[in-house]
Amino acid sequence: MEQQPPQPNDSAQEKTLGFPPTPEAGGKVPPRPARRPPHEEEAPTEVLNERGQATAAALGRVVGSRASSSGGRDDIPWVLVMPDHLFEVLSLMKEHPETKMDMLHLLFAVDYLDHLQLIYILASLSLNQKAMVKVDLPVAGDDAQATVDSAVALWEAAGWYERETHDLFGVRFEGNPDMSPLLLYEGFEGFPGRKSFPFNEYTEY
Amino acid sequence: MATEYDTGQTPETVDMMLNMGPQHPATHGVFRMVLAVDGERVVDLVPHIGYLHRGSEKLMENETYAQVITLFDRLDYVSNFNNELAFVRAVEKLMDLEPPERAMYIRVILCELNRVASHLLFAGTYALDIGAMTPVMYTFRERERIQNLFESVSGARMMHNYIRIGGIKEELPDDFVHRTRKLIDELRRGVEETDKLLTFNEVFLARTRGVGMIDAATAISCGLTGPGLRASGSTYDVRKDDPYEIYDRLDYDVPIGEYGDSWDRYWLRIQECYQSLRMIDQCLDQLEPGPIMPQMRRIARPPKGEAYAHCENPRGDIGVFVVSDGTNKPYRVKVRPPSFCNLVALRQMVQGSYIADAVVVLGSLDIVLGEVDR
Amino acid sequence: MTELTAVTFSEVSVIAAALTALLTGLSIIVLSLVWIERKFLGRIQGRVGPTRVGPFGLLQPVADGIKLLFKEDASPAWANKGIFWAAPLLIFIPSFVLWITIPFSNDWVVRNLELGLFYFIAFSVLSIVGLVLAGWASASKYAVLGGLRSAAQLVSYEIPLIMAILVVVMVAGSMNIVAVVSNQESVPYIAIMPLGFALFMLAGIAEVGRTPFDIYFAESEVVGGPFVEYSGAHWAVFFLAEYINTFLIAVMAALLFLGGWSWPFGDLPSLAGLALFMGKTYLVVVFIFWLRGTYPRLRIDQLMSIGWKVLLPLSFANILIAAFQLFYGWPSWTLTLMSLGVLAVPVYFQIRVQRQPAMERARMYAERAIAHRARRPIAETGAVARTVTVKEPSA
Repeated sequence: MEQQPPQPNDSAQEKTLGFPPTPEAGGKVPPRPARRPPHEEEAPTEVLNERGQATAAALGRVVGSRASSSGGRDDIPWVLVMPDHLFEVLSLMKEHPETKMDMLHLLFAVDYLDHLQLIYILASLSLNQKAMVKVDLPVAGDDAQATVDSAVALWEAAGWYERETHDLFGVRFEGNPDMSPLLLYEGFEGFPGRKSFPFNEYTEY
Repeated sequence: MATEYDTGQTPETVDMMLNMGPQHPATHGVFRMVLAVDGERVVDLVPHIGYLHRGSEKLMENETYAQVITLFDRLDYVSNFNNELAFVRAVEKLMDLEPPERAMYIRVILCELNRVASHLLFAGTYALDIGAMTPVMYTFRERERIQNLFESVSGARMMHNYIRIGGIKEELPDDFVHRTRKLIDELRRGVEETDKLLTFNEVFLARTRGVGMIDAATAISCGLTGPGLRASGSTYDVRKDDPYEIYDRLDYDVPIGEYGDSWDRYWLRIQECYQSLRMIDQCLDQLEPGPIMPQMRRIARPPKGEAYAHCENPRGDIGVFVVSDGTNKPYRVKVRPPSFCNLVALRQMVQGSYIADAVVVLGSLDIVLGEVDR
Repeated sequence: MTELTAVTFSEVSVIAAALTALLTGLSIIVLSLVWIERKFLGRIQGRVGPTRVGPFGLLQPVADGIKLLFKEDASPAWANKGIFWAAPLLIFIPSFVLWITIPFSNDWVVRNLELGLFYFIAFSVLSIVGLVLAGWASASKYAVLGGLRSAAQLVSYEIPLIMAILVVVMVAGSMNIVAVVSNQESVPYIAIMPLGFALFMLAGIAEVGRTPFDIYFAESEVVGGPFVEYSGAHWAVFFLAEYINTFLIAVMAALLFLGGWSWPFGDLPSLAGLALFMGKTYLVVVFIFWLRGTYPRLRIDQLMSIGWKVLLPLSFANILIAAFQLFYGWPSWTLTLMSLGVLAVPVYFQIRVQRQPAMERARMYAERAIAHRARRPIAETGAVARTVTVKEPSA
C-alpha cells in the first residue's frame, strides 16, 4: 500500500511547516496518518537457503506442533508460537541437542498496530545456526500491557532486553527480578516504541 | 527522584554505595555504575544506562532508507563503516541485491581500517584509564592518519555516510591504493610502538592480568560477543562463522585468548589490528576496477518483509533487523548493539574485585555509549 | 629562658627575610618544575607542550597560577568548613617548614640544625594528617576513599624512607646535613650504598605520590581522591605542596647520595657549587617526571605489597650490612660490594622473569593472579556476594 503524504490543512498553518506548533493554529500539529503495517498473508518473498532449510527442519522436529506457522529468509527460520508455550519452546530450543541455542542474540518487539509481536533471535555457537521465535501479543492502544514469561532463567542476556522492551513497548515479563527502566528515566509515561506514541506532538513539559 | 537500593542487610553492616556517576573520567561516556563496596572489594555492581538514549530506532521509522544510514553512523560513533554495513546488508537481503565485487572489496577495506582505528582508540584510552598517559597520544596520532584517509574517501573524518544500499556512494580517489599501502606500513609500525610500550609492561600486566575473568559459558549466556568472548576461549567470529561480503576469500587468523581476563581482551584487539592490516593488503591486491553500484532507484523501496543481517563490529556482533512495509521508509529497525550486550557481563566480571579493577574491566570491555543507549 | 629574651630584632628580621626569600625561591622553583614537567612530558608524548604564553611557554605556570587564584573557591554544602579550609595548609606548612634546614651551600642555609635529618623525618610525616583531614572534611565518598588510601600508602612508605636515611646517618656519623655533604667530598654516597639510593628513590617517589604510586589521587579511579572538592586557591596550595615535595625528595637525594655541591676533583666557588647542586637535583627531578610519562599506575594493594614485602626487607638488609661495615671497620668499598650484592638479588630474579618469552611471562602472571584471588575470596573478607536490587519506584 502506498502511503499518502500528509495533506496540508486549509488553515493558516499551510503557510508554515507545521512544526513547531504555532499559537494561531491552536498549538497543535496536524497528526500524521497512521502507517499501515505489512500484511503477512501476502505472497512472501522470503526464501530459505540450504543452511536455513536444515535449521528449519531441526526446528520443526524440536518445536513440533507448538508452532502455529513458520517461515524464514536466507539462513534464519522462524516459528510463531502462542504466548503460553513460549517459555517451553525457548527452553526446548536451548536444551535440545539438535538446536542447542546457547545464546540469546536479540529480543525485541514490533508494533503491528493491532498486536505486538515479540521476536527472539537465538543463536547456537556450537552448531553455528540461528533461529527466530515469534510470539503475537494481543495489545492495542496506548496503555494496555501484555504479560509474558521471562527468559532470564535461560539466558542472562534476557534481563536487559526485557527491561528495554518493557520500557519502549510495555510488555511485562514475569520472573525478571529487576524491571526498572533501562533506557528511559523513572517516571516516564507512555511507551515510546509503539506506533501510537505521538512522534511530533510529544512534549516533555 | 533518587533510586533506592536494597542491599538485603540489617542496618548494622551496610556496604558503601559508591557512585561512579555519569560524569566520570573513566566511564567512557555517560554511563553510571553504582558499586556496593566493602572496604576496597566490590560486592555488587548495578549499571545504569540511558543517558545517551536518543530514540534512534523510532527516528529511523520516519526517515528514508538512505537517511537511516546517517543514523547508523552515529550509533557506534567510533566504527562507523561497520554499522553502516550491517544496516545496508539487511536491506540488501530484503531487496535480494548483490552489490558489485568492487563495492564489496572497498567496503571490506574501509571496515577493516575502521577496525584498526577503533582498536587504536581502545588501546590509548585503556592505557589512560590505567594511568599510562603516553600511549594515548601515540595511538591517536595513528588514528589521525586513518581519518585523513577516510576524509579523502568520503569527505568526513567520522560520520561517513558512504556505504549505501547496493554499493557505495562514489568511486575512490585515484591515489587511494597507493596511499593505503603506505598507510598500512605506517600503521604496522604505529601499532607495534604501542604494543611494545604497553603489552608486556610489568605494571600493565600486574594491573590487568587475572582481572575481570569470565568463562566462555557464562559469557555466551550473557550475550557477550566479539573480543570479549574470544578472550574466554570461544572461536565465534562472524567473519569466519557466517562470512559476508568477501571475507571468505581472505586469509587471516582470529586471535583467541586463554584466561578471559582484561589483558587477554587487550592483547586480542592488538593482534586483530595486525590481522586487519593483513586483510587490507590482500584486498588491495585483489581489487579490480568495475562498477560500484548496480542500476537501481535512488530511493530504495524494498518489498514487504523482514530481514536480519549481522556483522563483526570491533566491539562484537552488530545485528540489524529490518521490517519493511513496501514504502520508502522502514517500518521497524532494531539494532543489536554489541556494547549493550557486553555490558550485561560486567557485573559477573567485577564482583569480588577491587574498585580500581572495576575501571580496568570496564575499559577492557570497550563500550561505546552511543550504541548502548541508541 | 634567657636565650629567648636575648633574641634581638635584627636576628628576627634576618630570619624573616630569609624565610621570605625561601618562599619566593621555592615558588620560582615550582614554576620551573611545572614548566619542565609539561615540556618534558609533552616531548615524551610526541607533542611540544605549552608554547604560547611567554617565550617557549615559560610563563605558562604563571598563567596557571593566576587562573587558579581567580577561580571560585567552592566547598560542598556538607563539608566541615573549618577543617576543609585548614587542611591544605596542614599539608603545605610541614613541606615548607622542612626547607629551613636544607642547605644550598656550606653557608646558605636558614638554620643548620645538628639534628637536621631527624627534623626532616619528623616533619615530613605531618602532611599525612593534612591529607586525611582533607579527604574526610570534603564529605564525599571519593575523598574519604582517597584520604584513607593516601594514609595507608604514605605511612607504609615512610618506613623504608626513614631506614634509608638512617643508613646515611650511620655512615656519615652525623645528622647534620652539611656534615653529610662534607663527608661526600671525595666519594658520593651513591657509590658506597647504591641500595640505599634505590630505596630512597622508590620510597621517596611513593611519598610524594608520583606515578606509578599516585593511585590515591588518580583521576580515573577516585577522580582526585582527597583533592576532589577543592578548587581555586586551595587547589593551588595542593599543587604547590606536591611540587615542593617532589623537589624536596630530589634535593634530599642530591644532598644525601649525590654529594650535594661537592665536586670531587677540586674546590668550587659557592655559585658554581650551587649550580652543580641544582643540576644534580634537576636530574633527579627529570627522572621522576620520566617515570610519570612511561608507567601506568599500580593498584593500592600491589603498592602496599611492594612497600612491605620488598622495600622493608631490603631496608633491613641495608642497615645490617652498613652495621657490619662500621662495626668491623672495613673500608668503604666493602660496603659498596655488599650493597650491590643485596641489590642484585631482586634484580636477578626480575631479570630471570623478564628473560622468559613474553607470552610465558604473561601466563605466569595470570596464574599468579588467579592463585592470589583464590586465596582471598570475597567471603573471607566478610563481604558476601549479595545482590543489590533496585527498589521499584512507589508510583
